Amino acid sequence: MLPLVMLFFVSCQNRSGPAQQKKMAIIVSTLNNPWFVFLAQTAAAQAKTLGYESKIFDSQNNTALETDNFENAIASGYNAILFNPTDANGSVVNVQKAKKAGVPVFCMDREVNSPDATCQIFSDSYSGCVSLAKYFVQTLNKKGNYVELLGLVADNNTWARSKGFHSLVDYYPGLKMVAQQSADFDRNKGLEVMESILQAHPDIDAVFAGNDAMAMGAYQALVAAGKANHVKVFGFDGAEDAIQAIKDRKISATAMQFPKVMAQTAANYADAYFKGKRDFPKKIPVAVELVTYDNVNDYIAYGKK
Amino acid sequence: MIKKAIKYILAIVLVLFIASNSIYFKKLSDVKASVVKQFDAAKYARNYLNTQLIPYAGKAPQADELLALLKSSPDNAFKAYSHGLDIGNIRFFMVQGQGTVTAVDENDVYVLTGDNQTIKIAMEYIFGNALRDAPGLININDFTNTMDLNNIAAEVDKIVRAEILPPFKNKVKKGDKISFAGAFELNQEHINLDKIEVIPVMLKIK
Repeated sequence: MLPLVMLFFVSCQNRSGPAQQKKMAIIVSTLNNPWFVFLAQTAAAQAKTLGYESKIFDSQNNTALETDNFENAIASGYNAILFNPTDANGSVVNVQKAKKAGVPVFCMDREVNSPDATCQIFSDSYSGCVSLAKYFVQTLNKKGNYVELLGLVADNNTWARSKGFHSLVDYYPGLKMVAQQSADFDRNKGLEVMESILQAHPDIDAVFAGNDAMAMGAYQALVAAGKANHVKVFGFDGAEDAIQAIKDRKISATAMQFPKVMAQTAANYADAYFKGKRDFPKKIPVAVELVTYDNVNDYIAYGKK
Repeated sequence: MIKKAIKYILAIVLVLFIASNSIYFKKLSDVKASVVKQFDAAKYARNYLNTQLIPYAGKAPQADELLALLKSSPDNAFKAYSHGLDIGNIRFFMVQGQGTVTAVDENDVYVLTGDNQTIKIAMEYIFGNALRDAPGLININDFTNTMDLNNIAAEVDKIVRAEILPPFKNKVKKGDKISFAGAFELNQEHINLDKIEVIPVMLKIK
């Protein structure tokens, strides 16, 4: 009951608050991953450039904590939420809560399965993985055994990446997926899962990982097993160590995301909302670019170049 | 005694209330109708290809003119002719042209145009968003589900692979004079014209 009372007072406050006091809450799934730290800090920097106060809230990959963050942000009078969801379904209730309180929500990088978010700005993971898959097929000459490491199973990005990849690779019967397992987008889990897969399937030619952290973990496992020179590793993100690993010919390719574009667009849209704009597109995909040894010098981590 | 009876009546009312709110009935026809309403990407793609993409391909810029503009004034070329549903560097162009086949390999047919420019036409990797995005005719705001858009691109590509490619691929050889129309992808931040590969939507051996 208490949160509802608080929400009522906060929503009244939102409507009457003077424009110069507007502030943005930045709620991110985790600050335990440098990619999301960069996303959050870029959003905060853009809010500051636009003249707004902001605060970063860490949900620690926990939807219950995310709910607390939303309640705190709404109760503390934040006028917009720049949101990186923890769970496409589990985060819906939080978005609805903000909508009820009259606080717009601009999703960054990850989607929620709800039309209540004001706008969702996310990487076009599916299309990025179609490009990556083409390079994967070309690199393997259309044949070989491979392993797929999936991210968090509750995250839409996990499946968008996997579906994009398979939408092309599955046309080539010479390419056989011998194992598909989740490693939660985590480097250590990527290492552990890959070690265990190698016990059962020592004869593999490639690994497709749903993000660079898992790709780097898998690469470590392959080094330990003495297979790093033969097995090609493909990641997704454009993280710093992956870009360096491509330069060093340790991993074959990644798909570069642009967290800066997503964070800045979210903050700019919140600014536009404060100034009266309401007709936002519900979803805005941001193009993802294939990075290989041939073009790696065009890029630096997180698409900053 | 009366108190007990009231208690039982209240309990029964409560149980009936909960039970009546736990069960709901829907007409079978309504359920079937909601299933039917699911987006049919294959049907959409077929209609898009026949009524929008192919007619648009006939109005696409000529390859020689477009490539010349991309070399001399890339900003103007991107502004005038490129489209894309995503924001960012990846953009798509429609193009048409004529020329002589100089080589055929496993993945591509190479065509020399009137202005002596070699254009690669994809025969193997017909995938991605080029044919969906290049004409700029699809509005992202018409779709609430991102996967519907992905499926449209996949279905358009599937039609090209199954129907447009085979009759051409089986006959084409070095020295043939051909005409073509299609779409290609270009990164506007890192322009590399040598990497252009046209995904065809119209192919004709003269």
